[in-house]
Amino acid sequence: MDFSFSADQQLLRQAARGFLEQRCPAAAVRALWDDPRGESETLWKDMAQLGWLGLALPEAVGGSGLGMVETAILLEEMGRAACPSPYLPTVLAAWAIAEAGDPAQRRRWLPALAAGEARATVALLDGHLDWDPASIATRAEPTAGGFALSGAKACVPWAHVADLVLVPARAPRGLTLFLVEASSPGLSPGPLTALDRGTRWVSLALEGVPVAAGAVLGPPGGAGPLVAGLLQRGAVGAAAEMLGAARRCLEMAVDYARVREQFGQPIGSFQAVRHRCAEMLVEVENAHAAVYYAAWALDARAPDAALAASVAKAYVSEAARKVCGDALQVHGGIGFTWEYDLHLHFKRAKALEAMYGDADVHRELIVRHLAGPEP
Amino acid sequence: MDLRESPADRAFRDGVRRWLEANLPARPPATLEERRAWHRKLYQAGYLGMGWPVEYGGRSATPLQQAIVADEMARVNAPPPINPLGIAIVGPTIIVHGTEAQKRRYLPKILTAEELWCQLYSEPNAGSDLASLRARAEDRGDHFEVTGQKIWTSGGTIADRGLLLARTDPAAPKHRGISCFLLSMRQPGVEVRPLRQITGSEEFSEVFMTAARVEKSDLVGRLNQGWEIAQTTLSYERGAGSLARVTRYASAFHRLLAAARVLRRHGRPLLEDPLVRARLGRIYAELEVQRYAALRVLSALDRGEAPGAASSVTKLSYSEFEKRFLELALEILGPWGQVSAGPLPPGLDLRVTASSGHGDDWAYAFLWSRAGTIYAGSSEIQKNVIADRVLGLPRDARADRARA
Repeated sequence: MDFSFSADQQLLRQAARGFLEQRCPAAAVRALWDDPRGESETLWKDMAQLGWLGLALPEAVGGSGLGMVETAILLEEMGRAACPSPYLPTVLAAWAIAEAGDPAQRRRWLPALAAGEARATVALLDGHLDWDPASIATRAEPTAGGFALSGAKACVPWAHVADLVLVPARAPRGLTLFLVEASSPGLSPGPLTALDRGTRWVSLALEGVPVAAGAVLGPPGGAGPLVAGLLQRGAVGAAAEMLGAARRCLEMAVDYARVREQFGQPIGSFQAVRHRCAEMLVEVENAHAAVYYAAWALDARAPDAALAASVAKAYVSEAARKVCGDALQVHGGIGFTWEYDLHLHFKRAKALEAMYGDADVHRELIVRHLAGPEP
Repeated sequence: MDLRESPADRAFRDGVRRWLEANLPARPPATLEERRAWHRKLYQAGYLGMGWPVEYGGRSATPLQQAIVADEMARVNAPPPINPLGIAIVGPTIIVHGTEAQKRRYLPKILTAEELWCQLYSEPNAGSDLASLRARAEDRGDHFEVTGQKIWTSGGTIADRGLLLARTDPAAPKHRGISCFLLSMRQPGVEVRPLRQITGSEEFSEVFMTAARVEKSDLVGRLNQGWEIAQTTLSYERGAGSLARVTRYASAFHRLLAAARVLRRHGRPLLEDPLVRARLGRIYAELEVQRYAALRVLSALDRGEAPGAASSVTKLSYSEFEKRFLELALEILGPWGQVSAGPLPPGLDLRVTASSGHGDDWAYAFLWSRAGTIYAGSSEIQKNVIADRVLGLPRDARADRARA
């Protein structure tokens, strides 16, 4: 039993931190907040060069053959940097194609995704915001050459820059996952303005979007497990990013409490502040255990992997909320200013809290694992 | 990163499980002699004091192996050993700080439970501020004479000897005038009075020492080195109980789930109430995270890393979790959660553990959950330790710091 990172994993983290500190400092994050696309082509290409985009893909398609633990390490570092990037939705889509794609689909997309020549995303939500695949209302009507997709997908991360969107829809044989090219007619992305400008959500209207029969990913009518897998990986990935945000917020709070003086002494010498910071550390360390246990369980295909993914998302959503919020409180007024960087992380954590199932969604999934579904 | 038990540890666990199946007493040991016998049996099987060095009767077992033994014992609700403080605290203290004569004299009898030990640290006016303790040990030439009062002495009524902290230099700064002794509890100058807790039971005692005698040869370490020694004894637990703790929580959780199928609200079982489900899901996420965190600590210990002040994070986390868990349990169980005896509705099992007997009801477990955030350094003290030694925040302005 070993809960430590390997030397390679530690090097990966160091390299990622160094790269992001240099290439994605707060000033760069802020520039991207103001950018209409919201992400940087050169940053994306450099991530591909570093092997990040193919990290968990098979070596045969240009990947490194690593797993969710390494992906979580990178996502934690991106959360730490508040880096605006379609990284998580892209690697989620790539995972699904590697897992269930036929040879043609794998050839078409995996090398391009690993090389940073394409971006992808997953459209798991309809407008009613139910993460339960049973509620997906987007329809796939059979046509001569394949299917026509109609519906409205909500809060699709980074869909405005994606070349490929994974769309689960209800086909005559049941829930089916489709590979939809962004250039398809009938597909209209509507970018949303939301709290975290480093995360872009897009409303995606589908009006009879034509997809070929060869664009069905995995078994027609049997997309349930694949969609569940996407939700689990999305949950753990988001938890990793929230962990990075939370740890950064804790560091900022502690650094600030050491130097900020009121009543003639550093505020970090007051028990009200010290105890709050100690509670924040407990949450951060527990979040670390939750994220990497779940990431390992997915890689190891452990019997409790799905449960662990829900545990991680349920726990870390609340932990990150507390830690980032408490960091703001420790900072006082300065933390409430636009100029101070704390809100970049505070808002990233808030955005991810709501994605891939919020804490309540995963609490219900946990109880289903333990006691069966609600009748 | 591999969070499975290694084949060797798995085999070790299987061995412990088989041994327990063959040796677990049919009914919990009732008398002192039966409890000593169970303790000896555990020791002879190699499952007690196993973290001690081989030369002192231990097995130099890894922290994970110790945790596995405790975990398997928790799974079958095995009775605890009768000399836990001797094994976990007194023995390791003597091994690190004691003389050869002390090691030869005391260690074997701790392992066999021939001599039972207690810990004489806290005083009525020295709780969180332990270093302000007032019990004094005065040099009488060929021995020390001890006078003072101790409280929260676990196992005091059955102990033969106690690990004692007493003041030996009242003029010195408070942390530097304390010494550590091995005191005989079997002498006229030592009076033990059971202390009844809010649970109604008496697991602790008050100990009154009036001109009690301690031999010079029973001083541990140097004179006035007691505080330093006490600091190290607090770190000996080393995660051995961490998996067992979570196993007990999980067992209790599943019993709570079973009760939530039987109890009803708004015309349906509680387990079908979305509000109840959300709260159960939330507490179970916390419970699982306690397990992951325990694995992380054990993994670090197995690599030889000293947890140091980080163990404050663990203690703060699980003791506060335990309170939240039992608060929720009592809310879900309603009045039944407060009932410890009497007629119950059919189909409702209100035991926290698989065995029955004193202390297996939710009310008792609930009351005990209030102890964990007070003993062995209250939550407030743990937060101070974390702030000082993990986060490196500036020290708070404490009146005793300048002198200490």
